[in-house]
Amino acid sequence: MNISLKLLKKYVDLPEDLTYDQIAYDLTMRTVEVEDVINTADKFHDIVVGEIKEVKAHPNADALRVCIVDVGEEELKQIVCGGSNLTAGHKVCVSKPGAEVVWHGEGEPVLIKETKLRGVPSYGMICGATEVFLADLYPPADEREIVDFTELGVECKAGQSVAEVAGLDDIVLEVDNKSLSNRPDLWGHLGVARELAAIYKVPLKEETPCLPQGLPAYDVVIEEPERCPRYTATKIENVHVKESPAWMKTIITDCGMRPINALVDITNYVMMAVGQPMHAFDSSHVEGEKIVVRNAKPGETLQLLDGKELDLNEHTLMICDCKEPMGLAGIKGGMKDSILDDTTSVLLEVADFTAPGIRRTEREFDEKTDSGMRYEKGIDTQRVDLGLDLALRLFKEIYPECSITAFSDVNPIKTEKAAIDITQEFLDRRLGEVIAREEIEDILGRLGYEVEFENGVYHCKAPTWRSTGDVSIHDDILGDIARLIGYEYFEKRPLTVNFEHSVNQVKADLSRKMREYLAFRCGMNEIFTYPWIDEKYITAAGTDTDKSVRLATPPAPELGILRSSLIPGMLESIEKNARYFDEFAMFEAAQAFEKGSYSPSSEDEVLPVHKNLISGTFAGKDAKTLFYKVKGVVEGMGAHCHFEPFTFKQKEKPSWADEKVWLNIMEGGKIAGSIGLISVQALTASGIKMMSAAAFEIDMDAIKPYPSRTNEFKHLPQYPLVEQDLSLLVDESVKWGDIREAIKFMVKDLKFVEEYRGKQIPAGKKSIMLSLKIGNDDSTMTSKQIEKKMNGIIKVLGNKCGAQLR
Amino acid sequence: MLDKLEKIREEGFQCIADATDRDKLEAVRKELTGKKSALQEVLKSLGSLDPDMRKTVGMKANEVKNLFAERLQARQEELIAGASAVEGEIDLTLPGIEVSEGALHPITQMCYDLNDAFRSLGFEIYSEDDISSEKYAFDNLNFAADHPARASMDTYWLEGTEDKGGSERLCLRPHLTGGSVRYLLEHGAPARFVYPGRVYRNETTDARHERAFFQYEALIVDKDVSFSSGRVMIETILEKVFGRKVNVRMREGFFPFTEPGYEIDMECLLCGGKGCKACNYAGWIEVMPGGVIHPNVLRAANLDPDEWTGFYTNIGLDRLVMMRYGVDDVRLFHSADLRFLKQFR
Repeated sequence: MNISLKLLKKYVDLPEDLTYDQIAYDLTMRTVEVEDVINTADKFHDIVVGEIKEVKAHPNADALRVCIVDVGEEELKQIVCGGSNLTAGHKVCVSKPGAEVVWHGEGEPVLIKETKLRGVPSYGMICGATEVFLADLYPPADEREIVDFTELGVECKAGQSVAEVAGLDDIVLEVDNKSLSNRPDLWGHLGVARELAAIYKVPLKEETPCLPQGLPAYDVVIEEPERCPRYTATKIENVHVKESPAWMKTIITDCGMRPINALVDITNYVMMAVGQPMHAFDSSHVEGEKIVVRNAKPGETLQLLDGKELDLNEHTLMICDCKEPMGLAGIKGGMKDSILDDTTSVLLEVADFTAPGIRRTEREFDEKTDSGMRYEKGIDTQRVDLGLDLALRLFKEIYPECSITAFSDVNPIKTEKAAIDITQEFLDRRLGEVIAREEIEDILGRLGYEVEFENGVYHCKAPTWRSTGDVSIHDDILGDIARLIGYEYFEKRPLTVNFEHSVNQVKADLSRKMREYLAFRCGMNEIFTYPWIDEKYITAAGTDTDKSVRLATPPAPELGILRSSLIPGMLESIEKNARYFDEFAMFEAAQAFEKGSYSPSSEDEVLPVHKNLISGTFAGKDAKTLFYKVKGVVEGMGAHCHFEPFTFKQKEKPSWADEKVWLNIMEGGKIAGSIGLISVQALTASGIKMMSAAAFEIDMDAIKPYPSRTNEFKHLPQYPLVEQDLSLLVDESVKWGDIREAIKFMVKDLKFVEEYRGKQIPAGKKSIMLSLKIGNDDSTMTSKQIEKKMNGIIKVLGNKCGAQLR
Repeated sequence: MLDKLEKIREEGFQCIADATDRDKLEAVRKELTGKKSALQEVLKSLGSLDPDMRKTVGMKANEVKNLFAERLQARQEELIAGASAVEGEIDLTLPGIEVSEGALHPITQMCYDLNDAFRSLGFEIYSEDDISSEKYAFDNLNFAADHPARASMDTYWLEGTEDKGGSERLCLRPHLTGGSVRYLLEHGAPARFVYPGRVYRNETTDARHERAFFQYEALIVDKDVSFSSGRVMIETILEKVFGRKVNVRMREGFFPFTEPGYEIDMECLLCGGKGCKACNYAGWIEVMPGGVIHPNVLRAANLDPDEWTGFYTNIGLDRLVMMRYGVDDVRLFHSADLRFLKQFR
């Protein structure tokens, strides 16, 4: 919303030494966020009144004239102009060098310079209204017409700033509408003026409203008092469509609206001034001289001004005449009753509609209007008085000849002042500071509260304009006091430190340890992907979607399924990065979902099953190496992240994995996840070419972290260990696991070194090189002992694994 | 004989001086002091000399031997002092061998920085699940029954539940605040905890808007915390994140789950509060909303609002990270683009 300082000053006299920036700052800190402060005169710099002294023919152009102009400087200036209404002795609008004008009213502003036109020097430019932002104020008859202040009857003198002459020297505060959403009273200048009056402790200029009396009644029936607690109808005759006075057009423009005609402008101006929306019907179109506020009947429609036709339903509150609906209550009028050029009498509706119904209709028909935006915040029924009073005064001012011929005020429900008690003790405790009773009463009084103090309790009655939901509990009053004192005023108090319990959260720590392990030790990059996954990748991963959870309104049709595994997202990420990298490693930790029942907080709430997954991938060229890299990462996880290291078994092949190369990750006898190469099929279906990838996916909830680090200390060997390398020849069918199991109890340490197949190795065989350590606990091994031990080991390897020494 | 010894000494000294590395010096040592050295030959031949001569020559030979030992030692020390482990030329401008390139996501980095700061103040770390219900996401938090955020234009409802209500209408959580009631129901009060996470909004994306983004929320519930403590907490946290004192200000704001609510601005770090393009010439940047927990929210958590109070702060992690690094497109965070992610170590 735009706040015009000119309009604001009609309601409050602000201290003279106050700067606009200070007003913006104080409003921002205490009331609503001011996003920008605009001086509307800024764009009129170097645009002044010029008096034409002489109009001469142009020697080289018939359409141009050469004018001698007084622009309030010592010398007269020569300006070439093509205007159709150049008259000597008249005062016009001159753009001096340095001014910025919009050429023919179109495009970006252009800088004016001294120049020559068809060979004749020209100092500046005599402008038309569209060129200098004056079209709304002084609508031109045609394109070549220049602004003629003398003709318009505008008082001015040569050299005077046009902004000042036209009254366009306003300060506009741009307020963030979002910060106004809970304050229906601030949707008019009066409300903002009241806040400023309270902040600066100056009086508010408010007049007591006065309603028409002793007039014939206009027939008004409210069928839905809950939705329309008040409706006033005023018939005003002997009016006609004409332009509003300049001052009103200026303020309407400054408030961000367009002037239309005086009848419509009055309603908009009042809405801006006091925040009360209103609507003017052409009363000759209201059939039966009767207004009925009722819900629409099935089958009824409403034709809007733009030609759109709305299908109404029995929840749509309508303003109707005796025959049919004329407008969406509180939001928008229809075509039938609109003010047109031939309108001579209006029916002025100043009414109150309650917020929920307005919001419903707005949603249903997708109609957001300035009026609806105010009603949807909740307006008190008493505000009708302010709106009606101001509107009628404006009618009398702009149409002195008009007459009010009928009036009705139907007001079945009145907004009650919210009565709330707040204790001194509560205030002291929550504010952290004792504020004197006088100050509290003063602050609340300035905001419109009625306060009585008794035995430590303030009995407060909130003003009606804050009683439609905004102020309802004592915390709201606390908030009003705190913000008016200013949050910056309160002394900073550090939090107390509590030594009663240490924060020990092994589960939360585990997630961090895992991520840091993968990133820092394993060289992987953490990624985030969306929980909704393109079905292409879900199909590629072969994920079963029967148990998938879906979105009702997904971001895109193919993104309806919420992930049940992180692998599809991993596939998409591999595909994206394969363009830029030959090899890379990534991981992601996130939740995945599956139909089922899970109640984390209360039994009435049954959510789908959430899985806390962590998944990673190595992508590159050599499939086997990638697989062993992933396996190494998962094998090392337990030791580095402090839980019992995983074991591996082939039990259930994950859908995304290669036919041969996969393993289940086991934890306590249960499957906690899988590792494997990503199947060629999954890669192909994902559009990943010329690249292999191995992946793992682990259910974090299956892991039981140790309560703290549980590294074990082993004494350093007192006697030296002997290190021996063995190169074995075994059948292809013999696995490293067999070899390890066969001799692990005979050695102090055992390491796989490499596997080899080649020319020297017979078909069906492979060579395995290993490195082991042996030693005695109580003495240094003698060479005889070493020989005996090694022979024993070789014998066992021969017996159990058919291994021969190479 | 003495002349011969003098010659041996002279030649020996020369050889020692000529040895240019330790291997050569070792060879020289063998040549000069070994069993087959000229000096040894002289010593061996001592027996054949007359006694006087034997004594003189013997002394001289020993003197030469000792001199050799000294010279060898000195030369060796010289060579060690000037030795290099690398033979020949080396290009020191070649790049070093790269360390492992992995990294946490910049959002996670920020999140962990904040976790560390809050942990140091005794906060617990909690996380709510991604899917929640209208009851926890809206009803408990004092959102009006027809609040626009409840509409499917704003919130991602789950298929099959979108027309239900309360605990039966399920959604991807639109904010973290619902988690506060879950934690309080489980743990009671007093409490101080943070609950970072990802939230989801149905909106059109551009460089400043995302459908999935990260928040970091903190809540303190206690008997008499005054809201000015909130400002101290925020200053402490921001100081930790940015490594220097950051001025903050609290101003009026409105959220359904707070009363009073406030917006928290931080002094623009680029211009130091003077006003620049980044802060729209305001000198302040809006970083987080906060406020005193609304009595209705406490009631939803089975706590008596006359006994307990507390305050929230909610930090937009994406925005904070964007500010920290000057990232200009929020969509990069979910892009999984390693060209972007590898920049953050």
